[in-house]
Order: sequence, then structure tokens, then C-alpha cells
Amino acid sequence: MLKLPLRWIAAAVLLINGFFPAVWILLTSFKQDAELAQTPITWWPQHPTLDNYVHAFSDQPLLLFLGNSFAVALLSTLLTLFAATGAAYALTRLRLRRRGLTLTALVAIAMFPPATLLVPLFEIMRGLGLINTYGALILPYAVQSLPVCTLVLASFFQQVPKDIENAAMLDGCTRLQALYRIVLPLSAPGVFTAGILAFVNAWDEFLLALALNAAPGSRTLPVGILLYQGEFTFPWPVISAALVVAIVPLAILIILFQERVISGLTTGGIKG
Amino acid sequence: MNLRAFSNLRRNYLRNSASDVSESSLAFWLLLPAVLLLALIVVYPVAKVIHDSFYSISLFSESGPAFVGFSNYVDAMRDPDVWRAVRFTIALCVVTVPGALLVGLGLALLANREWKWRWPVRLALLLPWAIPLAFSGMIFAWFFNTEYGVVNDLLRRAGFAPISFLLIPQWSFLAICIATIWKTSSFVALILLAGLQTIPRSLYEAAALEGASRWQIFRHVTLPLLMPAMMIALIFRTISALQSFDIPYAMTQGGPARYTETLSILINTTAIEYMDVGYGSALAVLLFLLSMAISSVYLRKLYKGAL
Repeated sequence: MLKLPLRWIAAAVLLINGFFPAVWILLTSFKQDAELAQTPITWWPQHPTLDNYVHAFSDQPLLLFLGNSFAVALLSTLLTLFAATGAAYALTRLRLRRRGLTLTALVAIAMFPPATLLVPLFEIMRGLGLINTYGALILPYAVQSLPVCTLVLASFFQQVPKDIENAAMLDGCTRLQALYRIVLPLSAPGVFTAGILAFVNAWDEFLLALALNAAPGSRTLPVGILLYQGEFTFPWPVISAALVVAIVPLAILIILFQERVISGLTTGGIKG
Repeated sequence: MNLRAFSNLRRNYLRNSASDVSESSLAFWLLLPAVLLLALIVVYPVAKVIHDSFYSISLFSESGPAFVGFSNYVDAMRDPDVWRAVRFTIALCVVTVPGALLVGLGLALLANREWKWRWPVRLALLLPWAIPLAFSGMIFAWFFNTEYGVVNDLLRRAGFAPISFLLIPQWSFLAICIATIWKTSSFVALILLAGLQTIPRSLYEAAALEGASRWQIFRHVTLPLLMPAMMIALIFRTISALQSFDIPYAMTQGGPARYTETLSILINTTAIEYMDVGYGSALAVLLFLLSMAISSVYLRKLYKGAL
């Protein structure tokens, strides 16, 4: 349907749509304060400087925010994968009553808005003494990712031929050993995909992080970066530098693994 | 994406009825971590929210919680703030869900093509996904800034007067919609790309041999086969749109004059900032009922497709 120029225009629009905000904050992070107060605004930094990056690290404990975000995201991803692997295997391979109900319940969980659970979660975490610790975020994040990760893993487990597993068990493996030695390694792309989904979800989260871990030492990046703004000031170049620092690790991860992320998600869907 | 998994799980279940006791107990142990997590983080909190919604609980008062029956709900029904938040949240869904599906479909179709520009397209598709919602909100708030925003710079260059996007209710709605579509179309594109890759190449070849035009192929081959993926994207997107918090909060903090307050923001303000736990819980239950009502319609469709 599309004539050639139209297709190129569509491609250009979508590419600009994808890249522009990221490129813009990258450019701004090299601008000087005075440049931001000019109107009309400048697009390209006139006197590039690295000062903003120095400020980003010295005005707020950016490294601490990064460390907190990374630890929370990684630990909750591991917890999700652990719980989702068990659940997905039980749902795909083992005899289980009310399998349909379990699956439906799993999808329904995705429907509980985090905001609705905020108050009781706050009380639970306070009761467990977890407020302002990694634990307060790891547990809810792991649960948030659980439904999607279980479904992704289940669809990968389905693709592992049962014969291989049965052969392993004839050779003396227990079912659990067959799971860890045969099924999981063969489903590595699925584990990777589920892991990336869980990691990005945890890295992104803001509402619970704001409510449960607002103390200075335990803030994650989305909460921490809000602190750069003063009551009446908005130091955009410094905020941009902080945003670049916050976005780059995940962007690199995604650039490195883009083929795997996409093929992981797509093969998960093909056979199922 | 998960649709096939769903129906296959059912089919396998029906097939493997022969089994032994040790399998059930292994299944129990394998499911235990997931069940414990769900019980702690979802089941108990949900029960607690429902319970609290019938009480008047203010963490400021010295006296304990008092049972008030449905009066929190009655108050909510009479509260203009609640209705405004409901209207705004639904308006946000109505605009951003189809918007994200459309942009996501465009991205997915481009990323699915075998051409040399595929990798920048895939990167453009994944990048917004990697930028947290709250950051996207901040960045777009700045884009729509009256004096220093890119959007007004472009408007000025084109000879128009600048617009105070985030100070005028209707314009701030538009700005929030654009930011939301930008951020969420990325995940939609990922799901749709997964769907596109499941369509066998041979179908396209056959259609081309029959002399179908590109539009006919898209309309009669791609679109129908993409429907399951579309449904999944639609469900995920609608649920998260109903729960919108990060982007409006980061862009306007619910302003101007609470016009862009979503239900999630209202619940957060009521329950956490004002510590009016009983009333906040009632609002939370209402939001959950709204999500359930809307998504049950989708789920029924999904099931019909799966069985």
C-alpha cells in the first residue's frame, strides 16, 4: 500500500519519536546553565562542558541511587525467576488440579493496581521492619513480574520435548534434576527474556519506591532524581546529566541484547 | 504472545491425566514460593484494603478505627474530586490506549521488515521502554515548558504564539497523552512484533501469488493473524492506563487545580499524604472494581479465542 517516500517518512517519524528525547537530554547534559536560560532555546550545546556530570554526582548521592536501583532490580529479578520457574514447571509438566483456575488467578493478579495495595503494603513492610530496606521493594516487584514471567517461561518449557526429559529420568535424574539440568538450560532464552522483563519493571517502578523507600539512604533512581529540583529551581543540565547516567546502563544492556530480547519474546510466542 | 501458551496448557492437562502422587507433591513444592509471595503481597493486602474500606481510620486521631459501614463509599460517590479523577483517568485510557496501539503497530511493522535499517528501528523501539516512566514524565514536562520547551520553540519558529501547556487543563491533558503514548507504544510494539513473527512467510507468498495488493495483504493476512497479540497488548495497556500514576505525577503533580489528578494519584494523596486510610481504601476498592469490570470484558474475549 505504502509508496516508497511515504514509507520513508513514516520510518523517519518513528525513528525521531524513539530517539529524540534521549538525544535531547544527552545534548542538554553538556550545556552550561546560562545557555538554558536563553530564549530562543539553543539545540546544540554552544560551550560544551562536563561540569553537569560532576554536579550530578556531587549534588546528590547518584552512585548510591544507582546502586540501590541495581540491587533492588537484580534481587527482585532473581526472586521472580525462582518463583516463576517453579510455577511454570508445575503448570506445564506436572499433574495439578485446577490448573485453569491457577492460570486465571495469575493473570488477574496483574490487574491489582499498585496504588490500591499501597496502604496495606506499607503496613506489612512496617510490620516486617522492611520499610526503607531493599526487602520492601524486592518482594512487591517480584510479585508484579511474576505473572508475565511465569507465562513466558511456561511457553518456553512447552517447547522442550518431553522425551529428552524422560530419557534423563530413565538415566537416574529426579524430576527436579531434570528441570535444572535439562529443561532450564534448554529454555535459556526464555529465562533471559523473563529476566529482562522483570529487571526493567523493577528499574522503572516509582510509586512504591516513593511510598516505601523514601529515606535518604534507600532511594532508588526514579525517586532520587526528583531531588535535584529545588523548590523554585529546575537545574535541567544537571538533571539531564543524572538522567543520562541513570539511563545509560539499561540502554547499554538493551543495545547489547536487543536481538536476544526480541527473539526471546518472539520465540516465546511462536510455539507456546 | 501468551495466548497459545494458555490453550496449550489446557490441552496438555486434558491429555496427561495419568500420573502419580509424588508429582502432585512436587507440584505443591514448586508452586509454594509463588503462592507465598502472592499471599503476602496480594491476597492479604487485598483483604486488608476491603476490610479497611469499611472503617474510618485516620492515623492522626488517637482513637482507634471505627466501623462506618458503607459510608466511605457513599462519601466517594458524592465526592466531586473522585468523579473528576474517574473522568480524567478514563479519558486518558480512551486516548492513550488506541494511540499506543497505533504507534506500536507502526513501529512493529517497521522493525519486522528485512531491511538494513532494521537495527536502528529496533533500538528506537526499545529505547523508550528502557527510560523509566517517571523520567519520561520529567523529560516531557520540560518539552512542554512554556518558555524553555522544545515544543514551544518549534511553535515560535513556525510563527505561532507559545502555549502554556502545563498550566491550561486541556493542553496539559494533551501533553500527558503524548508523553504516555510515547512511553507505552514501545512495549506494545514488542508484543506486536512477537505476534508478527508468528505469521508464516508462506501465507504472504501465497497471497502475493494470488495478486493481492500490499493493502489487501495487510488487511486480510496480517491484521487478522495479529489479533491475539493485539488483544494481549490491549489488555496490558488498558490495565496500566487505568493505573496511570508516574507520568501525570512527574509532569503536573495532578495540577493545574487538580485537573490532571488520576485515580492512582488521588488514592496516593488521600491514603499516604493525608493518612485518611479508610477513605483511601474505599477509593482503592473502587479502582480495582473498575479495572476488573473493564478487563473481564477483554478476558472473556481472550478465552473465547483460546478455546
